Amino acid sequence: MPALPVDRARLIAYLTALVTFSFLTSPLWLGAGLAAVLALAGRQGPRLLRRALLATLAFSGAASATYAALSWWTQHRLPLDWLLAANLRVLLMALLTFLFIARVNLFRALDFSRRLTFLLTLAVSQSLGLRRTLDDFRLGLHSRAIRPAGLKARYRAAARAAAWLLDRALANAHESAQALQSRGFFK
Amino acid sequence: MIAVENLSHHYGGQPTLLDLGFRLAPGEKAVILGANGCGKSTLLKILDGLIAPGAGRYLYDGEAITPLRLKAGGLRRRFRQEVGLLFQNPDVMLFNPTVADEIAFGPRQLGLADVDDRVAHWAGKTGVTHLLPRAPFSLSGGEKQKTALAALLAVEPKLLLLDEPTAALDPRSTGWLVDFLAGLKQTVLCSTHNLSLAPELAPRALVLGEDHRLLYDGPIERFLMDETALVQANLAHIHSHRHTYFRAPAHHHHPLKKGVVEHRHFHTHDW
Ligand SMILES: Nc1ncnc2c1ncn2[C@@H]1O[C@H](COP(=O)(O)OP(=O)(O)OP(=O)(O)O)[C@@H](O)[C@H]1O
Ligand SMILES: [Mg+2]
Repeated sequence: MPALPVDRARLIAYLTALVTFSFLTSPLWLGAGLAAVLALAGRQGPRLLRRALLATLAFSGAASATYAALSWWTQHRLPLDWLLAANLRVLLMALLTFLFIARVNLFRALDFSRRLTFLLTLAVSQSLGLRRTLDDFRLGLHSRAIRPAGLKARYRAAARAAAWLLDRALANAHESAQALQSRGFFK
Repeated sequence: MIAVENLSHHYGGQPTLLDLGFRLAPGEKAVILGANGCGKSTLLKILDGLIAPGAGRYLYDGEAITPLRLKAGGLRRRFRQEVGLLFQNPDVMLFNPTVADEIAFGPRQLGLADVDDRVAHWAGKTGVTHLLPRAPFSLSGGEKQKTALAALLAVEPKLLLLDEPTAALDPRSTGWLVDFLAGLKQTVLCSTHNLSLAPELAPRALVLGEDHRLLYDGPIERFLMDETALVQANLAHIHSHRHTYFRAPAHHHHPLKKGVVEHRHFHTHDW
């Protein structure tokens, strides 16, 4: 049996860990998982942890507050265990994902399947293309702003860009699916 | 009016423009020709002060232009009024609720008194009067392009930078644009890869090669007659193909009868 390429081994480890963590409910185990991932990350640990915290803060904060308020209102108690476990889990998964992205070349991890590589290429090229156009929206406003653009113009331009992005993402998804179909991808 | 000196630009290590140099006199019109990806849009964005040249200089009216220098109020105000860029994708420059608001956007910023008259005037000139109450995003590609053009002209710029303005236009609108540009007194720099249209847009051509350098600068007719240069710029190619013909063209020594003949043929791209 040929040795597993390192990127693919990491992909498998990542997916396994992700699934495992989603089954853990004990804050203790989740805390241990967090410590393990941090140890794996080594010197990159603190930076990745900070990014993971920032990325999950808004979502976790809002979800926790809503849930806490709800249970206080209906059961007159705070589900501290649940809150701790949920937040730890989200953080752990985010941290693991950031570590994964930092360490693994997805193209190499997926190169066993032409189809998966193809899908990844499609996704990456589309997001690059979309990002470029979003940049152009910013430049478009800039080039027409004789005076520094006011709040209203900025807001409108951003809203147009967002609407355009949504439209385009949907149209792209539709077209990509058709293109894949026409190239015999779904057969 | 503008001077470009030893200008280079890179996107993440990849060159997009290498060592360009040219000047444009007030009122002069020129086309930028070049194959896909040779850097036309990037050059126009630099000339609009939106991205900084990596090396070399770009002078507008003797004033060096970079995004940083345009942060200063005085220069910015003058430059943004006097220079207008029509983006390759007009979507990115249309963000007002109606076409009328779109055209009024510039004049309002300038605090002009006759905004409504200007809107009516430029909408008439560009043929979008019937679209004035519509939302720009709901228009067709060509209608968007005309709206964006009207919005640019409404502040009466001195230099117009047009990035493939005919790409979304039907033949009739293309003809209209050619006449319209010919009638403008402004300095115009217009990119295209449509070779048959280029000589109608301007008498002078700046040709960007695939190596991102300026391959040619001069009268457009002379460039179009130079097959080697055309092929080098990847604006034309030579390939074999089959022709059905009824009458042999003078330069082909085929018998004068109907038939199919395979031969080598010089081609330019017009799409
Ligand atoms: N925002 C960007 N980030 C990175 N690379 C870019 C970006 N925009 C353009 N490029 C690259 O720079 C090169 C020149 O692009 P540019 O858009 O200037 O070409 P162009 O001559 O206008 O092409 P086209 O005829 O397709 O419009 C291309 O290789 C392109 O992929
Ligand atoms: Mg372009």
